[in-house]
Amino acid sequence: MMTERSVAERAEILSRRRARMLPVLAIIYLSQQGTYFIGTVGNAHLVRLGAWVILSIVLLLALVTKGFWFHSMEVRELVDDENTRANRLDAIRLGFSFGMAAAIGCYLIDHFEPLAAGEVAHLVLTLGIGAALIRFAFLERRAHRDG
Amino acid sequence: MAERLANRLKDKRGELGLTQAELAERVGVTRKTVNTVENGVFVPSALLALKLARALGEPVEALFWLSAE
Repeated sequence: MMTERSVAERAEILSRRRARMLPVLAIIYLSQQGTYFIGTVGNAHLVRLGAWVILSIVLLLALVTKGFWFHSMEVRELVDDENTRANRLDAIRLGFSFGMAAAIGCYLIDHFEPLAAGEVAHLVLTLGIGAALIRFAFLERRAHRDG
Repeated sequence: MAERLANRLKDKRGELGLTQAELAERVGVTRKTVNTVENGVFVPSALLALKLARALGEPVEALFWLSAE
């Protein structure tokens, strides 16, 4: 059975790990964008697109839930404390704004150059999730650094 | 005039010989949250401010006050 101390230590380790991993995930996610626009047809392209969709879903779930799904509820509650929730909400708000801005931009562009639904969805998801990830990474790293 | 929430959390914690991690454990948050509150980066909820005051044995108004920017 985990002691109170080990729960706190575990939460600290996970919190620091998340702060380190978020920028890496943001870079991986954003660097994958070329896949959609430079790809043509074929199974390899479909596999890459499928991987991108799965990564988008995982990152979205990580942003809107407590994350760390395979850890105990006790640890998850602690690692999702007040400051983390505030940081996450801030990041989601920015991501939502970027996603909406992308949607408005696509709507305007569509009047001059028709866009496919897939392209629009791709841009909205990329900008929304990407902006939220970068913001969350910045806030979490700053929170660990200060002091 | 803009106001911010100032605090003497770090001083009081130091007087009691507590680390950020120890105070965090008493309050039920991570060390990161205590760190950001101490440095004025994060404004705690009333609930967390009261928990911090209780953990340090001080009235909340002795730990937190409004300060002009």
